[in-house]
Amino acid sequence: MSVDSIPANREFAKQIGVTFPILSDFKRTVVKDYGVFNEEQGFGNRATFVIDKEGIIQHIDEGNVAIDPTTVVEACNVLTHRKASP
Amino acid sequence: MYTRWLMSVLLLVVLSVVALAQQPTPPKTHLKVGDPAPDFTLHATDGKTYKLSDFKGKKNVVLAIYVLAFTGG
Repeated sequence: MSVDSIPANREFAKQIGVTFPILSDFKRTVVKDYGVFNEEQGFGNRATFVIDKEGIIQHIDEGNVAIDPTTVVEACNVLTHRKASP
Repeated sequence: MYTRWLMSVLLLVVLSVVALAQQPTPPKTHLKVGDPAPDFTLHATDGKTYKLSDFKGKKNVVLAIYVLAFTGG
């Protein structure tokens, strides 16, 4: 997800070969709700949120830490494992 | 006199370091692990509309926010 328009994200996805859909928060409401809106620059700061099936945040990476997906993958593995156990 | 001058320089150095350390820090989200994720409804590049709460009880969700398109992420 980014604050770019859908046409911009579509072109971006094509360029970098992304096959999954990219969300567009053009009105900046979601980046504000998630507390990552950069008022000076007008975009959302880099961040990754892992949300479980109950809608609860289980992991947050903010800033440059969020470039490396390792901790997010680990958090997802924990959730998947939790799903497997009764 | 020399001590006073030294103290002034030291204070300046400390203040500069503090200022530099604060500058590149992005604003921190108010959300914490354990908080309910704020719901949203957004349009996507595939022409569909996605609502976070539609995934409740069905799937875990990774919401990855990147800065801007065409900027290397």
